[in-house]
Amino acid sequence: MKFEVKQLYKSFGEKEILHGVSFALESGTAMGLLGRNGAGKTTTIRILMDVFRADKGEILLDGKPFISRNHQIGYLPEERGLYPKRTVMEQMIYLAKLRGTSSSEAKKNSDYWLERLEITQYAGKKLETLSKGNQQKVQLASTLVCNPDIVILDEPFSGLDPVNSQILQDVVKELIADNRLVIFSSHQMSYVEEFCESIAIINFGEVVLSGAIKEIKKDFGKNQLVLSAENYDTAALEAKCKQELSAYMIPMNAKRDYLILELTPGTTRNQLLEALLKTDISVEHFETYKPSLNDIFVAKVGNEK
Amino acid sequence: MRKFLTVLQFELVTYFKNKTYIITTVGVALLVAVLMFLPNFVDISSLLGTDDTKIESIIDTPDTDSATDIQDSRVMAIYDEASVITDESLLAALFPATSWHNASSVDEVKELVNKSEAEAGFVIHSATSFDFYVLNKSLFNNSSSQFQTILSTLLKQKYCEEHGLNVEELDSVYYAPIEVKEQVLGKDSAQNYWYCYALVILVFMIVILYGNMIAISVTSEKSNRSIEVLVTSTNPAYLLFGKVIAGCIASLLQCGIILGTTLAGYQFNAEKWNYQLDMFLNIPGSVLMTFSLFGLGGFLFFAFIYGAVGALVSKTEDVSKSSGGIQMIIMIVYFAVLFQLQNVDGIVIKVASFLPISSYSAMFVRVAMGKVAAWEVAASLILLYGSILGIGILGAKIYRMGTLRYGNPIKFTQVFKFLKQQ
Repeated sequence: MKFEVKQLYKSFGEKEILHGVSFALESGTAMGLLGRNGAGKTTTIRILMDVFRADKGEILLDGKPFISRNHQIGYLPEERGLYPKRTVMEQMIYLAKLRGTSSSEAKKNSDYWLERLEITQYAGKKLETLSKGNQQKVQLASTLVCNPDIVILDEPFSGLDPVNSQILQDVVKELIADNRLVIFSSHQMSYVEEFCESIAIINFGEVVLSGAIKEIKKDFGKNQLVLSAENYDTAALEAKCKQELSAYMIPMNAKRDYLILELTPGTTRNQLLEALLKTDISVEHFETYKPSLNDIFVAKVGNEK
Repeated sequence: MRKFLTVLQFELVTYFKNKTYIITTVGVALLVAVLMFLPNFVDISSLLGTDDTKIESIIDTPDTDSATDIQDSRVMAIYDEASVITDESLLAALFPATSWHNASSVDEVKELVNKSEAEAGFVIHSATSFDFYVLNKSLFNNSSSQFQTILSTLLKQKYCEEHGLNVEELDSVYYAPIEVKEQVLGKDSAQNYWYCYALVILVFMIVILYGNMIAISVTSEKSNRSIEVLVTSTNPAYLLFGKVIAGCIASLLQCGIILGTTLAGYQFNAEKWNYQLDMFLNIPGSVLMTFSLFGLGGFLFFAFIYGAVGALVSKTEDVSKSSGGIQMIIMIVYFAVLFQLQNVDGIVIKVASFLPISSYSAMFVRVAMGKVAAWEVAASLILLYGSILGIGILGAKIYRMGTLRYGNPIKFTQVFKFLKQQ
């Protein structure tokens, strides 16, 4: 399956929230929708789920218009909520049946997901008696109970402790391995980096960066290097570089243990290295800069207003 | 359809597992059953106001000790200025179980009544004029009219004596027993009035009580934030219809159990009750059928409105704010129909019997007590059930619109704007 979102526009009243959001992904892959609070991630997801209607734009599945109600979709909304007074099993079966699953299948799937998420012992308990983390797991189990082809998770890691986060990561990896199409939004870059093949960074209702993570990282780190010295701390090294090596490089960012720098146009790594060796800097670390997703995210949306 | 049934089943289980619902249903039904069987164990004649056996026996045997006890139980004051009362047996006959205190002045009569030493007082000015004194007059106090009868009888006796007439002979002609066999070929309004009254109150209570319950059940899905999962899982119309119809089934079942227990209990013990509750509980089958059809229709109509109102708010405590207008309409219909019960063929009831907001009680009353053609009943029923469908669809749209609109209750102006856009 190929899922494509093309030029989505959405306004609430006079205010335009989305200004042409586009991205694409295929079955067996996961895509992370990243963005700051209020960037438009949840609105985009709600349009995919037909909670809101887009003013313009189209959503296609294998080239045909996508209507969420015609597909088995596991949707975990940002606003979590189930029935506090009903038992875990009752509501899981109910939600599965609402999405068209037969009674026997609903029971079977419920048993599977409760066991997979290690909460089988709570099947007969009322939701309100469970801890917040376990309620979160029940919500995830309810999302997956209909055996969906498409899984859309809005901030799935919020409220989970590290152990439960790991379980969720494993589940998402299994879904990807099982050729499901996974879209999720998150602030936690480490999780996105862990299992997403591609990302779309949304800022103020626009996709400011999208594509395969590997390519993005490669492009982002192009002509950038990491440098540290045994005889200078980072601040001193930055000053030294600005003073003596400004023809070869521009210091970009001073971290605690190293300096990130960019080669000036036309300069090669070897030329910089040669120039470095001519100074009194005792090189400790000299390598290609591999930016983290967090660095890319901050660089793309961190300072924009 | 399968998804609608899934919602219906889930919502019904919610009601049937609710402890308050179970306790109320079983508790009230038990209480009613006990009440209906009460005459088998306790003498309730005083409760029903039918305790006249003792008085009859006293009149038959006025010299017994018990008669003396009972006679002393009520005191009346009398001041006969004109010495009109010459025959005290009349007082004893019309005021049984009463002892008379002969006062010497009007002030004494007033004082005795004021101090509650006498239940009432009479000051006789002449054979045709008297004052009646009572401290607090009860609804059924007929002492004054009984005293008028005494004075009229005395006047009649005096006239007969003066004109040489025989009082007994005159009375036998004047009050000759006439056999009446009443044959009501149409509807007996006098007989139908009280159960119509009771059923109008019943349907009003059902709509108000359970309507709010349905609104709260819809709002709770917004307050517990499950609504987003639900509306993305299935058609919102199934959700609203499932919820409302489940609410209707649960409430009708509860009412059915309580009402059924009452009717069955009364049928079983009607003789013990001396048939005193016939005017409320001996309801003809055809009237019950009409009441069921229109009552159910009215309930469904308002239940969908309540369901939609529930979707406009996100906190259960805000439901009453948004449902105030609906409750006002229901109250107006309720009072209009009750006040027009003695004029069921009037224009107010006629118009109300065709409006979906009021036909549920107005048409039922017309059928039970007034003149109504079959086509009118059919037209009203079609209008009512057609409106239910329309309101249901509209309610589902409002329910869908209300999704994710948290915070302050949504105003009706916003709803109309949205529906216009749709």
